[in-house]
Amino acid sequence: MKVLTCLIAGTLFCAGLSIAHAQTGEEPAPSPEQFAKGANLFAHTCSHCHGPEMVNPGNFSFDLRKFPHDGRERFFNSVRNGKKAMPPWKDILHQDEIEAIWAYVRTGGVAPQ
Amino acid sequence: MRKLLLAAALAALCPLTGFAQSTGDLLKGAQNDTSNVLNYGMGYNLQRFSPLTDINRDTVKRLVPVWNYSYDDNKSEESQPIVYQGVLYVTTNAATMALDAKTGQQIWKSKIEYPDETPRIVCCGIINRGVAMYEGKLFRTTLDANVIALDAKTGKELWRSHAIDFKDGYSMTVAPLVADGVVITGISGAEYGIRGFIDGWDPETGKHLWRTYTVAGPDDPNGKTWPGDTYKHGGGSTWITGSYDPELHSVFWGTGNTGSWNPTSHPGDNLYTCSVLALDPKTGQIKWHFQFSPNDPYDYDSVAEMVLADLTIGGKPTKVLMDANRNGYFYVIDRTTGKLITANPYVDKITWAKGIDPESGRPIPSEVTDKVRKGEAQEVWPSALGGKNWSPVSFNPGTGLVYANTLNMGMQYKPVTPEFRAGLTYWGAEIGWAMPDGPRGFLKAIDPMTGKSKWENPSDIPRFSGVMSTAGGLVFAGKLTGEFEAFDADTGKKLWQFKTGSGVEGQPVTWRQDGVQYIAVSSGIGGVYNMFSGDDRLAKVPAGGSLWVFALMPQ
Repeated sequence: MKVLTCLIAGTLFCAGLSIAHAQTGEEPAPSPEQFAKGANLFAHTCSHCHGPEMVNPGNFSFDLRKFPHDGRERFFNSVRNGKKAMPPWKDILHQDEIEAIWAYVRTGGVAPQ
Repeated sequence: MRKLLLAAALAALCPLTGFAQSTGDLLKGAQNDTSNVLNYGMGYNLQRFSPLTDINRDTVKRLVPVWNYSYDDNKSEESQPIVYQGVLYVTTNAATMALDAKTGQQIWKSKIEYPDETPRIVCCGIINRGVAMYEGKLFRTTLDANVIALDAKTGKELWRSHAIDFKDGYSMTVAPLVADGVVITGISGAEYGIRGFIDGWDPETGKHLWRTYTVAGPDDPNGKTWPGDTYKHGGGSTWITGSYDPELHSVFWGTGNTGSWNPTSHPGDNLYTCSVLALDPKTGQIKWHFQFSPNDPYDYDSVAEMVLADLTIGGKPTKVLMDANRNGYFYVIDRTTGKLITANPYVDKITWAKGIDPESGRPIPSEVTDKVRKGEAQEVWPSALGGKNWSPVSFNPGTGLVYANTLNMGMQYKPVTPEFRAGLTYWGAEIGWAMPDGPRGFLKAIDPMTGKSKWENPSDIPRFSGVMSTAGGLVFAGKLTGEFEAFDADTGKKLWQFKTGSGVEGQPVTWRQDGVQYIAVSSGIGGVYNMFSGDDRLAKVPAGGSLWVFALMPQ
């Protein structure tokens, strides 16, 4: 009985996790190397519009501190194709570079432990 | 015979005066022609001073807006209006506009298009600083590095000349200068590994007349100040309009920082970066150069305005050039010879140098700079934004003072190995801010010969507007929080302000039309401090460009 309860509880827990993941789309934390690469790329490619370490008033460019951390598709689309004041970058930034910048942005600029 | 000669002479002059706007008109400047504003800087001397007195210390309390014009643009609005015969010409990055100067009614608007990718290679705001006008044509630059001419009456594009490919990091925000019948333009992009230059163009056809590189190459004896091929990405941008002395037949144009910033990646003086060049406007030939910051690590870009004045020095009238340099020193230079007269600090904190050698004009490096040149990280003052950034000063010949929006900011600086990739930044340094607790900027009334201030007016968020002074005893400036302000030129006391709808980064001008003195300034936030300082307080200042025009309310 105890085993059955555990199984049910475990199944419910897993289901809960998978629902939560489906709802938020949150991705696993990036590796420290990927985060560092993203922070460096952000500083050199993005910070003059989006501010050092993503701190900017948000009146000219998007305040990336407010970018939803489950917004991978939206992020990639904006970076690759441009949106409003954002220029398109797909012909110059490689996929792995955008991936690294996304790793930096979706962690809110906080390095993974 | 004498009559015949006179008639011939008049006939020869007629083509000049018959056109909508001539070399003679340009030579007058706002100081001798108060009904028009024909030059960037309100005169070839870039003094931004008007002898008009209707608006003065006593009457300024009656200054009210008379019209406002929407730019339909959300970028940084730094364009200086040009006014000719009751028509005001102004630009944004996306359009050129002609407006009735009295009513604000749009006469025409000519849109500018550039590839969506262009802003990638623009470090510090999507900006255009205005038009030049000559013989019925307007000249402007585009963000993607074209120079275009428009018919001033209709806005129709007459010619378009391509300067260089923007995908290699080159862009244009500069207002052109027309000197001795040549359209002269600069270039932006020193943060992207460009090789800077200044161009001359034929106003009639757009034909390229000359190019003078601001980074000396192998064909120039000063090319030896760059090791190997480093000159190819050496920076030296030229994004602020030069001044012009017709008597000396010299244009004075400032040059930008090195590419990359890391001084160890290109040991040497790196001529002609961080310098002022005296050029022949007809040929672009360099007559002399003066370098403010050799082998500059700190982005002490020296593009900002080179103001011309005649000062009495040691009892002798002297033709000088004045520059509140980004490096924190105020320079007075003999503009005939290029020799330094004096250089003194105009900001409170300078840590990168101990002073300027009066004989050689070279900075005396501090321990901080010695360590940076060895590759160490250091806190450095002033910051990369300088003791003063691009915001143009005003010189009032009556008070003898230079009014300047100065900065009070330092930085944490770390040189790193640069990697060049066309179309991306080429910094070679990592920086963070070292901000003071109090004001980050002061509007100062500076004695050019000592660098000392007669008065200072602080601002927690620094001002980034142009400054204008008038014989009415007033100094005008604007805040990033939107206030357009008037100060007493003698005391610095604030006498008046008007809150515009966005931040003021524009360049005020004034003129008199049908017995009324007008003042115009652009409002619209989006420049380098807003984007790059990380100052969250500006979140309460919305973007939104427009032009405000003021006049005195009747008594």
